[in-house]
Amino acid sequence: MGQIVGGFGISHSPSMGTEFDRGMGGRFDPRWQVWFDGLQPVKAWLSRMRPDHIVIIYNDHLNHFTFDAYPTFALGVAEHFPQADEGWGARKIPELRGDPTFGWHMCEQLVSQEFDLTVCQQMRVDHGIYSWMPYVVDAPWNTPILPIAVNMLRFPLPSPRRLQKLGVAIRNAVAAYGTGRVVVIATGGMSHQISGTRFGMANEELDRRFLARLGPDLERLVAIPQQELIRAGGTDAVELTMWYAMRAALADEVEKVYDFYTFPQITGCGVVVFEPRERA
Amino acid sequence: MSAVDWKSLNAPHTYLYTGAMSSAGERLNRFALSLKNPANRTAFLAEPAAYVSSYSLTPAEVDLITRRDWTGLMQAGGHLQAILKIAATVGESLWHIGAHCAGMSVEQMQSACPRRLDGLPPGFP
Repeated sequence: MGQIVGGFGISHSPSMGTEFDRGMGGRFDPRWQVWFDGLQPVKAWLSRMRPDHIVIIYNDHLNHFTFDAYPTFALGVAEHFPQADEGWGARKIPELRGDPTFGWHMCEQLVSQEFDLTVCQQMRVDHGIYSWMPYVVDAPWNTPILPIAVNMLRFPLPSPRRLQKLGVAIRNAVAAYGTGRVVVIATGGMSHQISGTRFGMANEELDRRFLARLGPDLERLVAIPQQELIRAGGTDAVELTMWYAMRAALADEVEKVYDFYTFPQITGCGVVVFEPRERA
Repeated sequence: MSAVDWKSLNAPHTYLYTGAMSSAGERLNRFALSLKNPANRTAFLAEPAAYVSSYSLTPAEVDLITRRDWTGLMQAGGHLQAILKIAATVGESLWHIGAHCAGMSVEQMQSACPRRLDGLPPGFP
């Protein structure tokens, strides 16, 4: 049967992507060099995991979807997930691919568990995935991804509890697949706010505690209202609730393999890697 | 420079984007997101008045766009991620929006960031 072999949570930001491109051009900003270096163990871990599929829980930033039709949950089922032009023109990076056979399986399994997602056979993906991907996997990107987009832009947002349940549903859906090694990734956060007078706020205490407690204390984190996460960490810290889905997808108990944190400029950049703990 | 209430979830400190905001900003967001298309960016930059005329915007909304009043655009219901497309098209960035929101220059905001604070939500493990 399909097996979730591990997962991680990771931040994303537009500058993370453009600064990678600049770094590969030979001029890495020192603040982003720290992030690049800190992600090398994640890259090595992901390579060791040899995933056949990567499930990614992320949020779009009005780059594919518009408010004319904005899904709370959407699943991408396609051969290719092209990069979205976010207004500054496309980056020179390759395209992520998908596996529709796995995608339709996951779709059937998730809907049967009452997650009635919008299914997208065309889905352009933005910096939510493309910004950090080149740090953790060398191109070309041959492992198919399964993107699950979650509304993090407009209230009402799906509740933290709902995201935890989505993770459990993903776990069950993968287990029902015939074969394959699956890594689950959630991306968003950490502390940041990019509008209002609180623009640029950085709460390192919150971010570091989140990385430390996500493994053992999911239940207590899920109980924290979205508004309180926003008050302490900024509007966009609410994206951390997507990490609950990743954490819940893995196992009841997990081992933390690695974590890393830095705050380059506007967005707290963190990563935490888990593997399911085998029951004795 | 505006006084900041670091715990406030209300404007002008924090904008929580609601359904009511989304309805108020519907046409504004549609205009802004049209600029994801490179041909539309070119058309807008060539003839801004002609380009915006096809989006049924109010004179007040057009004025906010012309003056690059990023804060005003968000208060009118524009979503930050949509307004960012207008900024990108006219050669500005997230820094310009943040500086405008906080009543600072871009240089002041860049040197102020990260604006560090601490504190955990109640019940945080």
